[in-house]
Amino acid sequence: MSKDFAAVREFALSGGGRLFVAPTNARDLVIVEGSVRGGPNLVPRSERVLPALAAALLDAGTTSRSKNEIRDGLAARGISLEFGSSGDRTRFSGRCFPEDLPRLLNVMCECLNEASFPETEVKTAKALALGALADERSDTRAQAERAFAALLYDASHVNYRPSVPEEEHEVRAASRGKIRGFASTLGRTGLMIAVVGDVVAAPVHAAVTKAFARLDNRILAVPPKKMNRKQAQQQERHIELNDKANVDVLLGAALPVTITHVQYHALRVVAEMLGGGFTAHLMQTLRQRDGLTYGVYARLAGFDDGADGYLKVWASFSPARFAESVALLRKEVDLFFSKGLTELALVQTQERLVGSYLVSLSTTESLALALHCIGQQARELSYLSDFPDIIRAVTRADLHAAVALIPIDKLALVAAGTIGKS
Amino acid sequence: MASRTEPKRTNVPGISFVRALDWIEEYRLDKNGLQILLVPDSASPVAGVMVTYHVGSRNEAIGYTGATHLLEHLMFKGSKHFNKKNGGDAFALLERKGARVNATTWNDRTNYYEVLPRALVPTALALEADRMRNAYLRETDRVSEMPVVRNEFEIGENNPAEALDKQLWALAYQAHPYHHSTIGWKSDIERVPIERLQKFYADFYRPDNATVTVAGGFDVKEVLACIKKEFGAHIAPSAPLPELYTTEPRQEGERRVMVRRASDSNLVAIAHKIPGASHGDVPALLLLSLILADGKASRLYRALVDTSQATDVTTICYQLRDPSLLSTLVTLTPGTGHDRVEQTLKAEFARICTEGIAAKEIAKARQSLRAYIASRSDGPYALLSSLNEEIATGDWTRFVTFPEALARVTAREVQAVAKKYLVDDQSTVGHFVGTRL
Repeated sequence: MSKDFAAVREFALSGGGRLFVAPTNARDLVIVEGSVRGGPNLVPRSERVLPALAAALLDAGTTSRSKNEIRDGLAARGISLEFGSSGDRTRFSGRCFPEDLPRLLNVMCECLNEASFPETEVKTAKALALGALADERSDTRAQAERAFAALLYDASHVNYRPSVPEEEHEVRAASRGKIRGFASTLGRTGLMIAVVGDVVAAPVHAAVTKAFARLDNRILAVPPKKMNRKQAQQQERHIELNDKANVDVLLGAALPVTITHVQYHALRVVAEMLGGGFTAHLMQTLRQRDGLTYGVYARLAGFDDGADGYLKVWASFSPARFAESVALLRKEVDLFFSKGLTELALVQTQERLVGSYLVSLSTTESLALALHCIGQQARELSYLSDFPDIIRAVTRADLHAAVALIPIDKLALVAAGTIGKS
Repeated sequence: MASRTEPKRTNVPGISFVRALDWIEEYRLDKNGLQILLVPDSASPVAGVMVTYHVGSRNEAIGYTGATHLLEHLMFKGSKHFNKKNGGDAFALLERKGARVNATTWNDRTNYYEVLPRALVPTALALEADRMRNAYLRETDRVSEMPVVRNEFEIGENNPAEALDKQLWALAYQAHPYHHSTIGWKSDIERVPIERLQKFYADFYRPDNATVTVAGGFDVKEVLACIKKEFGAHIAPSAPLPELYTTEPRQEGERRVMVRRASDSNLVAIAHKIPGASHGDVPALLLLSLILADGKASRLYRALVDTSQATDVTTICYQLRDPSLLSTLVTLTPGTGHDRVEQTLKAEFARICTEGIAAKEIAKARQSLRAYIASRSDGPYALLSSLNEEIATGDWTRFVTFPEALARVTAREVQAVAKKYLVDDQSTVGHFVGTRL
């Protein structure tokens, strides 16, 4: 570990769990980021909403306390606690004052272990989920994201996303029994937890060990992920939504690799070079030179929990200049892949990535998220300090090998907005 | 691990020590009146630099609404010594080395900032000093950047909450420039002449109308010397700062606005007039906003979200320089009527006025604020950003004194401000009505 991260400690927890503790300069602030195994990837396709509904209900009453008792108790101590679910995992995030960490950990475990899922609360959670989906129907970005995932992946892949009506149907079909059934699979298995901020490692280790001992060590198997079976093809889909002043555009392709691939970090560098910030190729051309967009960014996504992910370029365009903007976006992406992988661009991007990585870890929250991610990705703790060297080690040859993994002549494009007027 | 040092007076000729409060030190550059705030944290490998200008959409008028924001964009197009031609623009020099470089505009202020490895602090200060008075502001840049800003406006228009919020402020304010949003009206974005922007820049972007704040890892003496060298190159213009003398006439009755658009979203908002940030009632109003809608244990969450009428509810107590708004926004669940939610909101407001606040609610709100105070010092950006909002009110010491004022607020005082300000005649009600797509 470099000296910047020398204070970060890792502890092994029973059942294969991992605890990361990082004291920082923060005063009076502790942030907890954690997760256990159990998420939408691990339930049948038609029931993928169950983990999200369960997560929304974990603090809505337990066998020993009502929803209001739990929420009032947390609020009285200035504690915040949220549950969520994605990929293979059910996640929990909390903030508290240092003296309240044992209390926060105990409530997390109480909710994970003893949630009672009252029928009235199930009804409310379903109504809220349907409300969020209704808002998505006319949200250009959300619509584009769903359609993009469906274009890239076959329906059995973990990155595939159903349409809003399909998901609404799943929400309506979710019963208390099914939600409880899913929640009963949650235990200590796969526990990853990062505790960061105004803390001392040894007492945190003791508190986490004690609190999470309450959780059963259930065996929840993770079946091997199926790689995407859908062939890449150049395709374009427009989603027409009325009364929209802006068009959201996504362009990209599924990639036949996971984070364990030898060129994964080279792919990250490629994405950064293409659209990682203001100095990247797309912002310098489409925004700075042509004034066509407020924002255009490229990212890798969908690689969580061992999935084969994708390259995604997002851009925002005015409907009045939609056709021209999309044509130029495609042209600049092509130009980048054919002529943009220069030594100078590589060195500049490496410097930016390394510098921004260190800057980003200057907050308690981002360090907690980074540590949890290390656990989720089954990496060694040393990855935290090794990351800059890994990025610096990427060569131009690596970039070309990485680009060879991208079907650059078969990129899919989705646009959502009031496109017809253009 | 805490590495913040007690504030102390550091002597640099030409820079006057003003005061120290908590761990914040204030200085003033004698030559031109530039205000300097330093918040050192010696162990941090990262630092942040922020220049806050006391100019925002509050200082704009019809024809050049959005000027502050448009200038925010144009000031990244280069200045005399830092520009693309000489390879020294903000992004090439700083973002390429990992810095977070950006700017934000709001009603009373605009800020330009960099969060970066500590070794780059002198570069950031030099760049900010140069663009304070030497930004290019060319017509060619306005022409190329205008569609970018217009697209930012368009992104905002796609958001139902933002669209309703703009209408709410536009109706609540008829004379005062809080009437228009910081991004401005679309036609002004498209057509404001470069000469108007240049005059606006010359009028307001000057050392005696700005505060430079540096937070995180840096050496105080070195930074003061650097600020003196870079910002000391400017003289304060002799012309007085343009004064905003327009005040909002008293509102005489509830105002209502409806926004109809093709959408599946439905929203209700109610905004009440409240005083400016320096008023003595503001601490109690902030606690009132937390009691109303901060978290799942709040009154409005229970009344609206727990009953499936809404997916979300927020209440914001805007702390601005001039009289402002306490604004509540509710996102409705499908099938829930706007009138029903409006009635629920008004019933909850009335309940506070008639029944008051329980002591435990005040205690919860205070704990929430304690958590916020801890979070706002987590890293240079969080600190700069929250300190910046206090600078914008005209009194940065609120960063330290406001929490103390909050601690003294009683349940009776919260009830009193609810009675005083949650008044129908001083409210503006907005409905966003989604029609069929």
